[in-house]
Amino acid sequence: MGGPVIFGVRHLSPAAAFQLRKALEKAAPDLVLVEGPSDLNDQMKWLCHPDTRFPAAILAYTQTPPVRTILYPFAIYSPEIQAILWAHEHWVECRFMDLPSGVFLALEKQGTAEETAAGAEGKEAAEKSREGAEGKETAEKAREGAEGKEAAEEAKEVAEGKETAEKAKEVVEGKETAEKAEVAEGKEVAEKVEGKEDRGGTETGLSGKEREGLGDTTESVYRRLEVFTGEEHDTFWERNFEQTGERYQEAAGTFGRMLREASSDDARSTAETLVREAYMKRVILQAVAAGIPAEKIFIVCGAFHVAGLEGNQPMTDEEERALPRMDSTATLMPYSYYRLSSRSGYGAGNKAPAYFELLWEAMQGGGLEETPYLYLTRLAAAHRRAGNIVSSAEVIEAARLADTLAAMRGSRYPVLADLRDASVTTMGHGNFSELALAAADTEIGKKIGFLPEGVSRTSVQEDFYRQLKELRLEKYRTAELQELDLDLREKLNVKSRQAALADLRRSFFLHRLRVLGIHFATLLPSRQTDANWGEYWNLRWTPEAEIEIVESSLLGETIETAAAYAMKERAENSATIAQAAAIFEDAFLCGMPTAAVHALSMLQSLSVEAAALNDVTETAWRLSFVIRYGDLRQFRTEPVIPLLKQLYLRACLILEESCICDAKAAPVVAGSMERLNALVLAHDFLEEERLLALLREISDRDDLNPHCSGFALAILLERGIAGEDLLAREVARRLSPGVPADLGAGWFEGLAAKNRRALIVRLSLWRQLDEYLTGLDDTAFRRALVFLRRAFADFSPGEKNDVAENLGEIWGCSPSQAAELIMNETTAEEQEVLSGLEDFDFDDI
Amino acid sequence: MAETKIQRLPAEELYQTEMEALISAEKDPIPTGWRMSPRSVLTYITGGVKVKGVDITPKYMGNRRLVEIAISTLVTDRALLLIGEPGTAKSWLSEHLSAAVNGDSTKVIQGTAGTTEEQIRYSWNYAMLIARGPCMEAMVKSPVYQAMESGSIARIEEISRCASEVQDALISLLSEKRISIPELGLEIPAQKGFSVIATANTRDKGVNDMSAALKRRFNIVVLPTPSDMATEMEIVRTRVAQLSSGLDLNAKQPEQDTVEKVVTIFRELRGGATLDGKQKLKATSGVLSTAEAISLLANSMALAGSFGNGTITAEDLAAALQGAVIKDEDKDKVSWVEYLENVMKKRGSAWLPLYRACRELNE
Repeated sequence: MGGPVIFGVRHLSPAAAFQLRKALEKAAPDLVLVEGPSDLNDQMKWLCHPDTRFPAAILAYTQTPPVRTILYPFAIYSPEIQAILWAHEHWVECRFMDLPSGVFLALEKQGTAEETAAGAEGKEAAEKSREGAEGKETAEKAREGAEGKEAAEEAKEVAEGKETAEKAKEVVEGKETAEKAEVAEGKEVAEKVEGKEDRGGTETGLSGKEREGLGDTTESVYRRLEVFTGEEHDTFWERNFEQTGERYQEAAGTFGRMLREASSDDARSTAETLVREAYMKRVILQAVAAGIPAEKIFIVCGAFHVAGLEGNQPMTDEEERALPRMDSTATLMPYSYYRLSSRSGYGAGNKAPAYFELLWEAMQGGGLEETPYLYLTRLAAAHRRAGNIVSSAEVIEAARLADTLAAMRGSRYPVLADLRDASVTTMGHGNFSELALAAADTEIGKKIGFLPEGVSRTSVQEDFYRQLKELRLEKYRTAELQELDLDLREKLNVKSRQAALADLRRSFFLHRLRVLGIHFATLLPSRQTDANWGEYWNLRWTPEAEIEIVESSLLGETIETAAAYAMKERAENSATIAQAAAIFEDAFLCGMPTAAVHALSMLQSLSVEAAALNDVTETAWRLSFVIRYGDLRQFRTEPVIPLLKQLYLRACLILEESCICDAKAAPVVAGSMERLNALVLAHDFLEEERLLALLREISDRDDLNPHCSGFALAILLERGIAGEDLLAREVARRLSPGVPADLGAGWFEGLAAKNRRALIVRLSLWRQLDEYLTGLDDTAFRRALVFLRRAFADFSPGEKNDVAENLGEIWGCSPSQAAELIMNETTAEEQEVLSGLEDFDFDDI
Repeated sequence: MAETKIQRLPAEELYQTEMEALISAEKDPIPTGWRMSPRSVLTYITGGVKVKGVDITPKYMGNRRLVEIAISTLVTDRALLLIGEPGTAKSWLSEHLSAAVNGDSTKVIQGTAGTTEEQIRYSWNYAMLIARGPCMEAMVKSPVYQAMESGSIARIEEISRCASEVQDALISLLSEKRISIPELGLEIPAQKGFSVIATANTRDKGVNDMSAALKRRFNIVVLPTPSDMATEMEIVRTRVAQLSSGLDLNAKQPEQDTVEKVVTIFRELRGGATLDGKQKLKATSGVLSTAEAISLLANSMALAGSFGNGTITAEDLAAALQGAVIKDEDKDKVSWVEYLENVMKKRGSAWLPLYRACRELNE
């Protein structure tokens, strides 16, 4: 017996998890140390909780903004998880041994801040150089007892290592390949090692950023391997390592060692790797010092670190104190297979989690030879569920083909790539697209993890889940999109007030999430035309939402306080009344009167400043919405009314001068006019006469934009204030031969922008229009045509027909003849004339 | 050798030395009825290595995985269907596969609209049939029949051009793996090693849809158009070299630059966008396959060799391009002229001679 057992794994590798358990049984250790932040040992009990369902992730985050996060995702087939579970099942102590999360976050921060990067590195480099000299001294005592043996053991291991490596070479192709890659890199590595003052051989690290980011140059070794084997790295790994069975530990260990020699990351991640390994070594020696026999310690770490843990010096107390730190908090969160598959890179995820789980199941059950049958039958079933026909013969052929493909590549069992290619060839008729849906289902899956109640959570998370339960929204917490229709009206046939307003409270809750930017619920446009009590949501749970919830814990203790804080911040930063009004509306929708009042006061102070007509009417309209439907949301609307009055007055005052504008702005002004009209109709407390007088004035004046004047008349017509006489007079005046064509037609465009029925039934109007057009000369006619075309562009076909019939009547032809003329396709000549209009020269307008 | 007069030798004769080298170097187990192991077949097709001092030339330059799938299909004695656009080397691959597996790529049925069921199964020598009645001697065996008897691979070219009843005749043959001759009261079982490689075209007009029942009996491999410029150029250059050496064209091999231009034009018009993706183009009605690019260059070489100084000039190329691109007179001409003016004209001096020559033809 000798030093601790070091089991090198690949993160998220089912074979590692499976073999690891066997090795644990064999070693029967007293302490299991797992690569993971050593301050997060508390989280382990939750990972082992019987109600926990994987995938889950540990999320560590800084407490001060900007929030930095690191994420450790685990699936059921993660070796780390299986080690932790094994320890739990056998009452063996288990701990994490990597740098505390606060240090990771601090290192990451340094890594991102370019200015500090150089300094930090210098510091680290200094640390490392000290390690050589100082490390030996300080660790000497600790080593005396255990290390001595360990060192001897290590030496033996090194000797053995070669043997093992040789054996591995024979049995495991991977090593051979790794070696070849190494040969390619050989010189380069040698140079690099020399360049780094020869810190003891093989310290050309990797995978510093293996959690969130990616090691760059280990990736490049992977890429070279890919070129060499002609297969993706994941496939290469699966073929050569997942199927090695008993020999996994040595195979992976050899691979890690080789990779370490072959790759060379940038100085920064190399340094980080060394710091991490020194820390891990320190934790190991501390355990030894605490009286646990070294050979009774079982270590689970990335295969890459095996050599580092065997060879490097531990970190001294002083060095440990010198580590940068940030305050951090950690929480467990449910994860999803989808998210696991969408993050590429070593350790962070894998492309086919559902398939890997299937591998894990197969290993536990009948062995790997079952995998093809499991995969293919599931794929076929999923494909059938999607409505396609798959014959069993095709599935059988796929299994045979996959076996042959695996044989051609020299692996024992088919790997995912073989299985998928085989299914595409037989079931998919050569096209992957046919199978894509089913393949996503079988390879990625829809699994989402679950955590038991009571898991250490941020208070906002607690609040979120409590409300989810209270509002009976839990069933919507799935990866699939679900619709939720809310009826905001108070229900009168239920007992408690709580129940009567259940949907309203749901609405408040969902709106608060929306305000916080938590992507759990999406508001759909209303499907109601004349009512406002319905609200339609799409709900879909993603792990991102969980992260967003964690992030909002910076804003407050509960969803409500966080939302209030968010809105307050936004309100104070808003520069226009439109922004402030939007916040007010949000506060209203969230059912948060205090926030609403605050937004309202911001609104008031902003509205004093001169604002554009459109902004004012838009804001007034939003307020009006709140006043009209406030009851529905149990909202006190009295404080809003004075502000609405103010805005209304302001809009009226600036309306007339706003009508002096160009053709582009005219429709916007018309829109505001329409809004004002609607406001007056909706609220008795607004002075109606003021607007009507104004509209009459606008309609009469000749020096305003004719579109606006026309639109004002249209409103007056609709309200029944302008009579037949006024219309006749205005038409005659506006469409008289002396008036420039663009003014006349522009006016008509405004007039026709609303209330068209009323225009269509007035035959006299069309007669006047006809007379006017007949009176124009060719150039003027073309000019008028441009405006008229635009005016009629959004008439419905039915309305156009009616207009045509009117004209037909004036010209004395029957309705059917008129309709026929209209229905005819335009001829090429006509088309040419029309397209000529498009580049009409407006230079003198 | 007398063979020099043959226009095109079958693959097994053309690459005889390569195959012999592979066979003599064989280490892996050989399936029944095969001449070499599946891995050697793969080496033969993808090439790029030296076996026993013989260079194995690459025969198929696309995705190696597709070749693996094709070979594995034949190992599992399933029928193989190669589908793809014109010029994706379907027939080429099919020929080389059967040549490597059996040393015989000549058991071919050329699928046409006029192919009959008898040509798939067997027919009779009627003179003998009348003289001697139904007997084995009076029977004319189809290539499929022969392949079943000898346990080898039969090829069916352009299977989708055959009428559907002819296609249907294959269904029972492929699932039962035996052929019945009611006239003689016989049923001939297929020997081990029998398989069928069929090819089908997806883009051409005048093809019949394949029934789901027939598709189920095939493992289907879709051959893609060359994925990138470099691959396609490589394919074009190699094939042009092979073609011209067989045809005694008195012209120099086209320069890299010329090949690049042709492949660029083809890829851009095929993809409906310039290579940098910045400009959308109107696609032409023709397919503009790699095969067409190859014959276009061979054509230009013939032009240059017979009527010019042996070097392909811009004029030769322009004439050939005109013919290849403009299939449907009106529409294609518009797309082509637009391409000339909007894309080629702006490409700078290297393209100028070609642009001028092309424009001259369209004035």
